[in-house]
Formats: sequence, C-alpha cells, structure tokens
Amino acid sequence: MDERDDAAIVARCLEGDRDAYEEIVKRYQRTLFNVALRVLGNYEDAKDATQTALVKAYEHLDGFDRDQRFFNWIYRILKNECLNVLRARRPSGPVSLDLPAVGGADPVELGQRQRAVQVALQTLSLDYREVVVLRHFTDLSYDEIAATLGIPVKTVKSRLYTARQQLSHQLSVWRVAR
Amino acid sequence: MTKSTEPWRDGIPDEVTEMLRDLPEVDPPPALADNVMSTIVCRARIETMSPTLMTKGRTMAKKVLWSVAAAAAVALVVMRVFGYPPVQDGTEATIGAAQRYQAPQISSADVKLEDAQLQAFLQSDVFRQLASDKVAQEALKNNDFRRALADASVRVALSSPDVVAAIAATAATAGAPQALEANNARLDAAKVKLDAVLASSEALRVALASPLVAQAIANSALRVALVNSDAAFALSQQVAVNAVLAAATANLNATAVSSQATAGGATNAAGSAVR
Repeated sequence: MDERDDAAIVARCLEGDRDAYEEIVKRYQRTLFNVALRVLGNYEDAKDATQTALVKAYEHLDGFDRDQRFFNWIYRILKNECLNVLRARRPSGPVSLDLPAVGGADPVELGQRQRAVQVALQTLSLDYREVVVLRHFTDLSYDEIAATLGIPVKTVKSRLYTARQQLSHQLSVWRVAR
Repeated sequence: MTKSTEPWRDGIPDEVTEMLRDLPEVDPPPALADNVMSTIVCRARIETMSPTLMTKGRTMAKKVLWSVAAAAAVALVVMRVFGYPPVQDGTEATIGAAQRYQAPQISSADVKLEDAQLQAFLQSDVFRQLASDKVAQEALKNNDFRRALADASVRVALSSPDVVAAIAATAATAGAPQALEANNARLDAAKVKLDAVLASSEALRVALASPLVAQAIANSALRVALVNSDAAFALSQQVAVNAVLAAATANLNATAVSSQATAGGATNAAGSAVR
C-alpha cells in the first residue's frame, strides 16, 4: 500500500472527485473485511462493519491527517464499528472447545480445525485478539501495529505473546493431532 | 511491510502460527465496494437536496409566522374598534374615566330607625318619661311635629335650651307680646335661631302653630327627650311614637302595678306595638 497514493486519492476526494474514493475502497476492502471477520467471527457482521467503516471514512475524510497512514486511521473506524457490533450482541457463555481430536489432513478435519481456531480467537479479549489479527491476517509489522493501535511496540509484543499462550492452551488438542 | 522476528521463536513458525495460517483469507462480498460507493452517492444526493429543503422549510416557517402575526394584529384592531370583549358597567377604569357610583343626597325618607336604635329608645328613661307624660304624648300625636323632627337641623335647634326657652316664651306671650320684649338679649339671639329654623322647616312652623306642641316642648318630658339626639331622632319615626302611645295606654290599664312593674309592662306593650 503506497501511502503517498492514499494521500493523493484523499486529496482528490476532498476536491470533489467522489469516484476516486472507489480506489481506496478496492484497495482496503479485503484487509478490512478479513480483520472484521476474524475479530467478529461472523461473515454478515464483518460485511456490515466493513461497509459502514468505509462509508464513515469517506464522510470524515476532511478529518484525516495525511501525515499518518490511511490504514491506521480507517482501522480505528473499523474497530469502533466492531465494538458496536460486539456490544449489540446478546451476552453468551464461554465457547466450548470440546472438539474431536482427529488426525490426517482431510478437508473435514481441516474445516473443523479452522472453526476451532476461530472459536479460540473469540475467547481472547479484544486487546489480545486485535493484536493477533493484525499480526497474522495483515502484513503489518510490530511498529506498524503499535502505530495503528497507539501503543508501544513492547506492549504489542507482550500482548501477542500472551495471546499466543492462550491460543496454544485452547488449541492443545489440535496441536497434538497435527 | 516487513515482519520482524517472532518474540516466541526465532524465525521458526510454531504450531499456533501454523494453525492461524490455516485460516484462509476470505474474499470480501463481491458487492461490498459497489454498496459502499452507492451509499456514498445516495447520501451525497440527500445532502445536496437538504439545503434546498431546509431553505424551503425556513421560508415556509417564516411565512407562517408572519401570517399568524398579521392575523393576530388584525384581530386586536378589530377587538379594539368593536369593543370586544364588552366592558361591563363600572369596569372601564383601565381604559377611560371610571364610571363611579354617585349616590344621591340622603333625604329624611332614607333615614330609618334601626331595630337596635329602637330597642335602645324603648329601654331608655326618656321613653318611660314620655309614656307617663300626657302633654308630651299629645304633642307626639301631631304629625307635623314628627315630620319636623325628621330634619336634623330642627333637632339640633330644639336641643338648644335657649331655643326651647324662646319657644316657651313665644307660647307664653302669645297674648302679651310685651312680656317677651322684657326678656334679655340671650332670648333675642335664641329667637333669631328659632326664626331661622322656622324659615327652613314648614313642618315645624305648622306644628308650633299648635299651642299644645309649643307647651310640650317647653315644659313636658318632651323637652328632655329633645336634648337627647338619639331620642329626638327616634321620635321622628312613627313606630317609636306608636310605642310611646301604646306604653301610655298600658300605664293607664295597670294602675295597681308598681312603678317599676309599670315600666316593664309599658316596655312589653311598646314591644307589641312595634311588632
């Protein structure tokens, strides 16, 4: 993602070139959608959150600081939308990880393991979950994650380590099966 | 973007990392971009139309406001011209000069003896003296004298001992004017007063034409009664005179009763006369 291109596109949008924003949408929709999907764990919710975030970003483009990365700015918008979705959800009990320990690499087993990983992600707190998601489902570096979340790099690493420890514990059955 | 070394294992993916990598990257909904852009376009159109709608709304609101104000002004003018709401008599003070109630001058006919005054008169010594004085009673039977007493100036004049003396002197010298001339200057002054009263009261003039009335004023219990303003006023009322006469009749019929009992019986008779 070329940051200079982002700034140029934003400038064109602010000058009234509405169609220019479509380039931004196409550039970031995949990343934003996957982040939302892994944070929320639901396809429809991820779609709505992503769409709303992209629209709100356009409506508030004049508040974007062109000195910072566009993704950092729009990620905060998406995160707020995800929080809104999570708050709107009915409270549920802990996710059951009583999953069968099966061996082999057949599609059924793979699907089950993928669902287990997604469920394990949902058991993490949002602070830990977003660090894992940004680290493993985007190409952001620790520095970039720190900049995006507005926290020190050391905190990013600490949260990532703890999150992985929890995931490792949650997925221990599957690790053996592998 | 370059990934730095993982904090948990130097460059070697662990099993958790491998499992996370197993989660596939999911394609966003195909219509996501179109939906975003169409939503943006739609909202932009609404924002473009809103200022016009807002302007029209404000213009309409102003028109309505001015219309209401104009209607209110017209209504006020109409109400002012046609005098609505109608003003009741005596309540115009806030607009123009107050139409105050102006009572006519009080006349003797308007002065009535209240029950309390009558009762006080019936309980007085003056009443008992009148009820036992035939001369006074005969004078009270004179309607002209009673009407004359209704005049406050007459009552004031007759309460004066000098005026009474002048009346007595006039009555006594009716057949011998020289006797009156022999009186002193004080009597002359009293006669002037009497003449003034007589000039103003036709009723008194007629009443004093009766020697009996003049004699009663000069010598009977009536002389004492006229000094008392309340009693004099009571005697201007027919009801009080009737009470006196009734008490006098009762006195004649109760000769065997003691003087105090007589007075009580007279009072009772007077009460009956009043009723």
